[in-house]
Amino acid sequence: MITLQLLVNGLALGAAYALVALGFVLVLNATAAVNFAQGDLVMAGGLLGVALAPHLPGYLPLPGLLLLPVVLVLMAGLGLLLAVAAYLPLRRRPPVAVFISTIAAGIILQNGASVLFGPEPRAAPPLLGGGTLDLGGLVVAEQSLAIIAVAALLIAGQQWLFGRTQLGRRLRATAQDPEMARACGVPVTAMILITFALGTAFAGAAGLLLANRYFVTPTAGGDLILKAYIAVTIGGWGSVPGAVAGALLIALFEVGVSSVLSYPVALGLLYATLLVILVARPQGLFGEAARRRA
Amino acid sequence: MVAALLAYALLYASPYGLRVLTVAGVYALAAIGFQIVFGLGGALSLAHGAFFGLGAYATGILGSQWGWGFAATFPVSLLVPLLLALLVGLPVLRLESHYFALATLGIAQVVHLLAVNSPALTGGANGLPGVPGIVLFGWAVPRGLPLAAVVWGFVALGGLLAWRLARGRWGRALTLVRDDPLAAGTLGLDVGGLRLAAFALSAVYAGAAGALAVHTQRVVSPEVLEFPVMVSVLTIAVVGGRGRVAGAILGAVLLLHLPEWFRFLERSYLIVYGVALLATIVLAPHGLTGLLDRLFPARPAPLPKPEAPSGLAIANGPLLRVEGLTKGFGGVRAVDGVSLTLKAGTITGLIGPNGSGKTTLVNLISGLETPDGGRVLMGSADLAGQRPDRIARAGIARTFQAVSLPEGASVLAAVAAARLERDGSIAQAEAHALWALERLGAADLAAKPCAGLPAALRRRVELARALARQPAVLLLDEPAAGLTDGEKAELAGHLRAIAATGTALLVVEHDMGFLLPLAGHVLCLDQGRPLYEGPPEGVRSDPAVVAAYLGEGAR
Repeated sequence: MITLQLLVNGLALGAAYALVALGFVLVLNATAAVNFAQGDLVMAGGLLGVALAPHLPGYLPLPGLLLLPVVLVLMAGLGLLLAVAAYLPLRRRPPVAVFISTIAAGIILQNGASVLFGPEPRAAPPLLGGGTLDLGGLVVAEQSLAIIAVAALLIAGQQWLFGRTQLGRRLRATAQDPEMARACGVPVTAMILITFALGTAFAGAAGLLLANRYFVTPTAGGDLILKAYIAVTIGGWGSVPGAVAGALLIALFEVGVSSVLSYPVALGLLYATLLVILVARPQGLFGEAARRRA
Repeated sequence: MVAALLAYALLYASPYGLRVLTVAGVYALAAIGFQIVFGLGGALSLAHGAFFGLGAYATGILGSQWGWGFAATFPVSLLVPLLLALLVGLPVLRLESHYFALATLGIAQVVHLLAVNSPALTGGANGLPGVPGIVLFGWAVPRGLPLAAVVWGFVALGGLLAWRLARGRWGRALTLVRDDPLAAGTLGLDVGGLRLAAFALSAVYAGAAGALAVHTQRVVSPEVLEFPVMVSVLTIAVVGGRGRVAGAILGAVLLLHLPEWFRFLERSYLIVYGVALLATIVLAPHGLTGLLDRLFPARPAPLPKPEAPSGLAIANGPLLRVEGLTKGFGGVRAVDGVSLTLKAGTITGLIGPNGSGKTTLVNLISGLETPDGGRVLMGSADLAGQRPDRIARAGIARTFQAVSLPEGASVLAAVAAARLERDGSIAQAEAHALWALERLGAADLAAKPCAGLPAALRRRVELARALARQPAVLLLDEPAAGLTDGEKAELAGHLRAIAATGTALLVVEHDMGFLLPLAGHVLCLDQGRPLYEGPPEGVRSDPAVVAAYLGEGAR
C-alpha cells in the first residue's frame, strides 16, 4: 500500500516535471537553443499563483483550478517577452550566446522574485481542495490526482495541437527545418514566438501545480532546470515523448530514493546518474532525436 | 587602468572601499581563469563556481580545523580543484557544448550538496569560522591596504601568466579549438588535450581565488559554492570581454562596485548583473574591451618576412596505401571495401555521384570518422582509426567541402594555425604561413580578416593552410566548387605545382573538365564501392560509370 501511495506521489511529481521538460524540448526543437531560464519560469508561475490567489473572490469554489487559465495566459505573455528580449536578437549567433542570455533572464526572474516575495517558501492554493480521497484503503491527496489530471490534459492538448491542426503542422515544420519551412511560406518567426509562449505557459502551469504541495522559493529554478535537462537527456535530446518519459522516470526515482534514504541523497544520486549517462550514453537512453545543426 | 586603480586604493579608498576592491581582486582572479576555459577554449564550464568553492573549503578546513598556515593551505587549494578537474574533465570534455554546460552544472550541484550535508567536515550549512589570515614569509598580512595589495599582487601574477599564454601558440591553438574543433584536429592540434589543459588551468585559478576569498572573509560557508558566485564570474567575463585578461579585471572592478550604486536592491543586486549580462550579450557581444578596441583600433602588426619551412623529405613511390576501407552508418554501407594507392608527385581524382562515399572516404583517411574495417598505411604505420591530429602529424592534410575559416582571425593567423603544432613561435609560424600564401599567389590577402572573403578566396586560404603543413599527402574535397573557369585554371596550375614538389594529391571533384586533364589516375565510387579505376581517358567511355551518373537507361 505504501508503495502504491509512493507511486501516486511519484506520478504527480513526474506529471509536473513532464510539463517543464515538454516546454523545454519544444523550444529546443523550434530554435536549437537551450532555454536555461525554464526552471526560473516554473518558479515564476508558482509565485504568480501565490500572488493572484488573494485576488480571487472568496465565494468561488476551486480557487486553484480557476487560477490555471490566468497563469497560462500571463506566462505565455512572459514567454513572448523572453523570446523578444533573449532569443530573437541572438538567433544568428553561436548557441552559447542564447545559453548566456537565458541564464541572464533567469537571474533577473530569480532575483526579481526575491525582491517582490522575499526568500521564504510560499504555497499556492490547491487545484481542487486540500483533502484526501480514500480509494479502497489507498489514501491519496486530491491535489496529487488533480496534478496528474491537469498535466495529462495539457499534454494531450499539446499532442492534439501539434498532430491535428494546421498551426501544429507549421510548428512542427519550423522545428524540423526552419530554412525549409520558411521557403515553404511558414512564418517561422511567428512560430518560434508561439513555441516560446507555449513552452513558458507549460512551465507556469507546472509551477502552479508544484507550488501547493512542494512550496516555491525564488531559488527553486536551479534544481528544476537541471531536472528538465536530465529528463530531456534521458529521453533522447529533442524527443517529445522521451522528455515526458524521462520526467516520469526521474520523479519516480526521486520519490522512491527519498522515501528510503533522504531527499539530498536522492538529488545527489540523480545528478551522479546523469553524469554517468552523459559519459556512457550521450545520445540518451532512447537515442538522440534532434539532428545536429551546423 | 592600473594607475587609476592604484591611485584610488592609495588615496581615496575607505576601509570599506578597500574591502570591495579586495573582493574585486578575488573575482578578477577567478574570472581570468574562466577566460581561459570559456573565453579562449569556448567551453561554458558551470563548474567554475564549484572549483572556487573547493579552493575556499580546502583553505577553510585546513586553516581553521587543522591549524595549517597559508604556505601549506594555498597550494592545497590549487591542487584540490585541479585534481577534480582532471578527474571529471576527461569524460566530460568530450561532450558537446550544452551537455558540457549541463554536466558541469551537475558537478557543481553535487559538490554543493556534499558540502551542506557533511557537517562533520564542512560545518554544514553554518560553515566554519576562524580561518586565519594570509601569512607571507612570516609577515601576517593585516586587513585593509596590505591585504588588497597582496590579493591584487596575485591578480597581477595570474593575469600576466594568462596573458602570455593567451597571446602565445597555446592560446592561438585553443581559440581554433573553440572556433572549429574539426579543422583544429586536422591541423595536428590535440583537441582533447588542449581542452583538458584549459579546464584544469581554469580550476587552479578558481581555487586560488576561492582561497583568497576565505582569507578575506575569515569564514567559509556553502555560500562560496552557490550559483551567485558562478553568475558573477560569468557576468564579469562576458561584460569585460570574452577571452581577455584585461576584460576580466575591468569587469570585476566594475561589477563588484555596481551593487554599491544599487544599494536599494540590497541582496538582490544580482538583478543588475542579469540585466548587464543580457544587455552585453545582445548589444556588445565582445564586451567592454571589445568596445574599447573598436574606439581605439590597434595598429596592425607588420607582416613577417616569408620563410620556407625546412622541408620534410618526401619519399618516392607510394606514400599512402588504403586497403579495404569500410564504413557503415546504420544500415547504409557508405564506404564498402575501397582500396587505393597515392604515389608521390601524382594527382589522383576521386569521382562518383552524390552520396557515393567520396567525402566519407576522405573523412576516414583523415580520422574524422572511424572506419569499421580496413587499413590506412603510411609506410608501415597503420593510421586507420587514429585521432585526426595523429594522422595530421603523420603527414596528411586536407581541405573541406564547406570551407570554414575562423571568422574573427586574419588570413595570416588562420593559415599560421597550421604551423602552431610544429613551429617554436607565433612569428615563425606566421613567416611560414606567408610563404604558403605566397606560393598560391595570395600573399596580398595576409592582413585581411577571414570574415567577408569571397568564396574563391576562402578556398585559396584554406588550401594555403593545408599546404603550410607541408603534407606528404594532401586530400582536397571539391576544391573547385563555386570557382569561375579562370579561377579553376589557376587552381589547376597551383595543384600541378604542389604535386611537382613530391606531394601526393587526392582530389574529389564533380567537374570532369577540370579534373580529368589534371589527374593521372581516377577512382570512381558508386554506393561506396569502387566502380572504375584507371587512367582518366577511360572514364567517359566506361559503361558502368556512365550508367551510375546518368542512370541505367542512358547506356
